Amino acid sequence: MGKNLFLFCGLVALGFSAVAQEQSNQFPLPLGAGGPSAAPIAGAPVLTRSSTSSTMEDAARDLQSPAESERVGAAKLLGKYPGAQATHLLIGVLDDPSELVRRAAIVSLVEHINTGSFYSIGQPIYEKIFSKIGDVDVEVRRAVTALIPRLAFRLVQSFSQQTVINGRVVYRNTPGGLRSDLEALARKALEDPDAVVRQNMLKHHTILRIQILPNVLARLLDDNDKGVVLEAIDQARRYGSHIEIQQKFSALTKHPDAGVRSKLSRVSQMLSRSDSFYRSILRTLTDDPADEVATLAIIDLARVGEKVSPPMLLRIEEFLSQSKGFYGNAENLFFSLPVLGSKASGIYKALLDHPSSRMRAEAWAKFLLPVRASEDSSVWLNGLKDRDSEVREVILMTMRGRIQEATEADLQALLANKNAEVRSFGAELLLVADEELAKEQFFNFLIDENNLVRSTTLRVLARRKMDNWIMLHIRSLDDDEVQIQQAALDGLLSDSGEGTSALLEYVRKFPSHPISEAARRELLRKGIHP
Amino acid sequence: MIKKIKIFLVSCLIASVLGGQEIPPLNLSEDGSIQVLSLRRENGTRIRYPDALPSLLQLINESSRVSFDPFPLFIESLTDERLFEHPILYINCDELPNFEFSNEENQALRRYMELGGFVYLDAGIKASFLGADLGHSYAAWEERPEVRQWFDQVLPGQSFNPLPRNHEIFRTFYKGLPDNEYLRLEESQKRLPDTVLTFVEQEKWPQGTYSLVGLKVRDRLACLASPICAMGWGRDEFGAWLPPISFRIRESAENFDETLQMASFTGKTFEVTREDGLKDIIYQIPGQRPLWVQEPTGRWRIFKYYSGEEISNYAHSFYARLGMNVFLYALLN
Repeated sequence: MGKNLFLFCGLVALGFSAVAQEQSNQFPLPLGAGGPSAAPIAGAPVLTRSSTSSTMEDAARDLQSPAESERVGAAKLLGKYPGAQATHLLIGVLDDPSELVRRAAIVSLVEHINTGSFYSIGQPIYEKIFSKIGDVDVEVRRAVTALIPRLAFRLVQSFSQQTVINGRVVYRNTPGGLRSDLEALARKALEDPDAVVRQNMLKHHTILRIQILPNVLARLLDDNDKGVVLEAIDQARRYGSHIEIQQKFSALTKHPDAGVRSKLSRVSQMLSRSDSFYRSILRTLTDDPADEVATLAIIDLARVGEKVSPPMLLRIEEFLSQSKGFYGNAENLFFSLPVLGSKASGIYKALLDHPSSRMRAEAWAKFLLPVRASEDSSVWLNGLKDRDSEVREVILMTMRGRIQEATEADLQALLANKNAEVRSFGAELLLVADEELAKEQFFNFLIDENNLVRSTTLRVLARRKMDNWIMLHIRSLDDDEVQIQQAALDGLLSDSGEGTSALLEYVRKFPSHPISEAARRELLRKGIHP
Repeated sequence: MIKKIKIFLVSCLIASVLGGQEIPPLNLSEDGSIQVLSLRRENGTRIRYPDALPSLLQLINESSRVSFDPFPLFIESLTDERLFEHPILYINCDELPNFEFSNEENQALRRYMELGGFVYLDAGIKASFLGADLGHSYAAWEERPEVRQWFDQVLPGQSFNPLPRNHEIFRTFYKGLPDNEYLRLEESQKRLPDTVLTFVEQEKWPQGTYSLVGLKVRDRLACLASPICAMGWGRDEFGAWLPPISFRIRESAENFDETLQMASFTGKTFEVTREDGLKDIIYQIPGQRPLWVQEPTGRWRIFKYYSGEEISNYAHSFYARLGMNVFLYALLN
């Protein structure tokens, strides 16, 4: 009897399972699918997952439950099912008397919006969500104001309207803009008791196509929250002609936070293009006690064409010299120095000995860029003694190809350098050395301990076709180092006359030498059969 | 603090003598600050948080008497001879194009740790369900498989172990979670939504701790792996944190243990190791954020996502404090 009942229950369960599968057109998953620890316990009833439609039905029922906790659970669950049905259910509880339910609903709606499934929903739904900007619960207001960029395009949408005038159908576009009652709520939110809401509204008010009244913005510039003040300064770019804003900007030059004063400098620089008042703000900030603010203001003034005095230049130089590294304010300031024109070269020079290798490297690159700097070789030769390879590499890259003629002193200084890449650069300069000088010096480079230096010298010899270059190359084919063999091979191949003939002879004489195989390949490519 | 650093430098010297091997002297910047090494392969993937490490090192300089060079020294290979001149090696595992290291590199890394070097593997923990997503962290309690395979070659037979919540690393400089005073918030301002704050304090980062696993060499914590923390360290020129960070919170509700068992689901499941060694089963639909979790206790909870400036600031403060603790611990031990 018991066995029969068990069988009967199993068949019924299977039947229900099949129905659910049909309804949802998806696979019913056994619980804990995918994990060994989630395997059904022997003897426990085997449950199958419900279909999406039945999950929705259950959630819809729970949203109407008198128990707050059930409504909260349903609102949370619906966030996982993006789509019109779940969205409409969630919209329906945005006015729930429980703040927990409203919070859960708005968080779930954010999930829907973030999954990109929200765009088919009509404008009234967007307006309903936005109206919660006036909710009594601060968390709901925060969530809605953060959503403004995702909601705005529908909130301010314009429509085409069809009307019949004297029997004729006329189409007119209605102007886009926020509904008047919603605009009133948005304006109220600009002075919300919560700083996060105020800040969000400030940040997004332009995409809602509303203008802030100057007296409201002036109050926000005086806010007790730093985040709000920074945002208000940023937004003041649009309202700079109002006297209230200008007065507040003057007052903010004394703000205790250096970050606020830095922001003030940046925005004043933008405004100063159209309103000379803001140059006076920048001038005031050039005397700021914080170096990062003062130097920023000096650069900003230079950007609008004002002269920079020697004490101001000195302040920039001191700030950069004392900076710990090449990042943040120092990095930004450094890359702004070109606005100072030729006056910047003194600052670059002062930074050539900066403790930060990155700063030194950048300073060298800028300092050597003017043509005159390359004429005095002692300057860059000194830089090549730097302990950091990044600095040396920057100097080499800047100087490569720009030296017209190498002197004996230059070559000897480069040869004496302890870093191989520098000595290799010296070998490269044999190309632009006087012929006699090159003959005199090349051997010193050719016996260098470093392969790179030696191979570079070989390549230069081939290029200049100096005396006995073919013999030196043929001998170098027997070198132990592949890099040298390759340089010798390249040099011989570069000369279609004697060089190639000598190579051909070598290959025939030493067919089993490791480089001979590569040489044969290259010769065949040139149409020569070894 | 300075005294302790001197002790560290002396112990480096002793280690070199005891080891019977010559190692280069510790390389300090000209101004005496300590430079952190960072491994960055030449053909590495995109650098996601370029401001992170400099910002963190600068924060340490501003908040303590330790002096770090804010600009790390980048090396391309672990065979770079400068490895042995610096006490801390930082590796963001998400920035590595692959985990292929030559035998020479593995030997150099082993020797580095044996001689007192500290290796910090940021993103050395990465839950499998995150896949190629680099913008998320998840507090799994075991190193990512690639790191495990790599260190099997570096230190065969040794394994990473979870750090207990009472480990000294969580108290080296900062202790506990950032409070209103630290965050410079007015008393009247709410820092986090209530639901978020409760979860953070009780489960996500209890008392300012996090999921870290470590590997000991000669009884010293020589290598540490964490979920990606660099995303929480960067600041812009105005001192504002970047990029924005949002929170994943586990939430429950009436009957969720039954509801989530029955609710429609068409995705995949992933197992993630918990602090207690048991496994959470994460339910996820590919391409979406995880939906919910079946915990080994039989409890089912849903994942909810919260974002906003106050949440992001809080997360940044936490990661920066944790980062400071890690780097200062690395110096002092």
